[in-house]
Amino acid sequence: MSGCVTVQLSSLNRADTPQLHLLPCEIEHDGSAEVSGFFTPAVKEHKGEKSVSFRGRGLRGQEVSCPHGYTGVVLNELQRPSSDEEDRIVKVSSVFHNFTYWNLETPPTSDDRIMMAMVWPKLADVIHAPVEG
Amino acid sequence: MTTKKTRSVPPSNDSWVVIAADSALESTKTHDSEPTFVKLRNPATGTASQYLFSGGDVRVYEMKAFTEDCRSWFIGQTVQRDGKLLYLTPVDPIFLLLPYMQSDGVEGKFQPLQQMVMDEHYPGCMRLLKCTQALDSLRYVTDEKMMDNLKFHRYNHEKTMEWLKKKVWNTVTALRNSDISVGGGVKSTTYVRVKQETLATEEDYLRYAHGLISVYISEELSKDLLKHLQLPEITSPKEVEPPSKKRKLSDKPVEAGEDYTKFNSADFVRKPPKKMTAAQKTLAKVDKTGMKSMSAFFSPKVKQEKK
Repeated sequence: MSGCVTVQLSSLNRADTPQLHLLPCEIEHDGSAEVSGFFTPAVKEHKGEKSVSFRGRGLRGQEVSCPHGYTGVVLNELQRPSSDEEDRIVKVSSVFHNFTYWNLETPPTSDDRIMMAMVWPKLADVIHAPVEG
Repeated sequence: MTTKKTRSVPPSNDSWVVIAADSALESTKTHDSEPTFVKLRNPATGTASQYLFSGGDVRVYEMKAFTEDCRSWFIGQTVQRDGKLLYLTPVDPIFLLLPYMQSDGVEGKFQPLQQMVMDEHYPGCMRLLKCTQALDSLRYVTDEKMMDNLKFHRYNHEKTMEWLKKKVWNTVTALRNSDISVGGGVKSTTYVRVKQETLATEEDYLRYAHGLISVYISEELSKDLLKHLQLPEITSPKEVEPPSKKRKLSDKPVEAGEDYTKFNSADFVRKPPKKMTAAQKTLAKVDKTGMKSMSAFFSPKVKQEKK
């Protein structure tokens, strides 16, 4: 069938397990960066709350875990097809079970939209579970 | 640090950060096919949305996007400009089959599934008939009849309403167990939001659950369900949300179009109609910014007051 996108499962075993940070700014760049050279060493942790100075701005962060029964993956398309008709393949390049969510200046709280969004999988599981007759 | 207000060009990278149900990416020994993204007709809008079938088409999933302005990822030693976070969660295939069961051509007649579920625009819909949950649950929305060893189905509206009602009640239970606030919780710098909103009534929960379910059914079914739940329709809900909410993203799952990177944007729920109690109205006058409806959690970021 044309126009389908297949997820290559065999790539799952070879996937790396990097650290993920969701930053409160848009970085106009896609590609490599010396995260472990400059960002990670500056992260301070105190009672589960993280802080870091990034380009002169104070970031406050919190570790966010994937809900039970869910795993984080980074899907990657290595080759874009030349036409729409071609089937496409994506690989699982990374796997993660938690990531760090960063806010600008203010510490993350349960009122942050991301925290509410993390509730969605649990709700979706219930909404879409088979109904008992 | 760049804080551009608008994103002029779409991100050019081809990678996506996804929180996926483990069952979606399970490799099965019995099925050699791999998970596949397929365009299907969205049951609420009738337009194309992206879904994922697990290996062997045993289960079906949908993708929703969490986006905020000015977000980027660090993934290991790389920067990804696009700070989107996607969620791959299960979908009850019955939701996706209902429009076919109800269509003019087949309604009122007993027909084999293969004849009911046909769609020249979305041939992928045939895969739904392989989903275990579809085969197990069709009896909740159709009458079934066996003839010459062949199963025939006919849409049954009363059954469907009962089935939807159970979905709503299950959702209400899940909402009560979560810390999502369905009422008009007041949030300000001096008050800490409590886990369970004391203001939230049974009706608040029902309406919110109805709103969540309505994202998966047609407008008509949604209205009928409201009646079935004995909830009056709300004609002119008072708008207390910030103007940014007017973008109304929830019930418009992004068309699949040619690019599967465009998943449903920002918020996840069709905005439930708002009903305000007298107390809430008073509160609204006092502190408009504090009013926070359910959908607010899944909609574009509100300007944050400095603490």
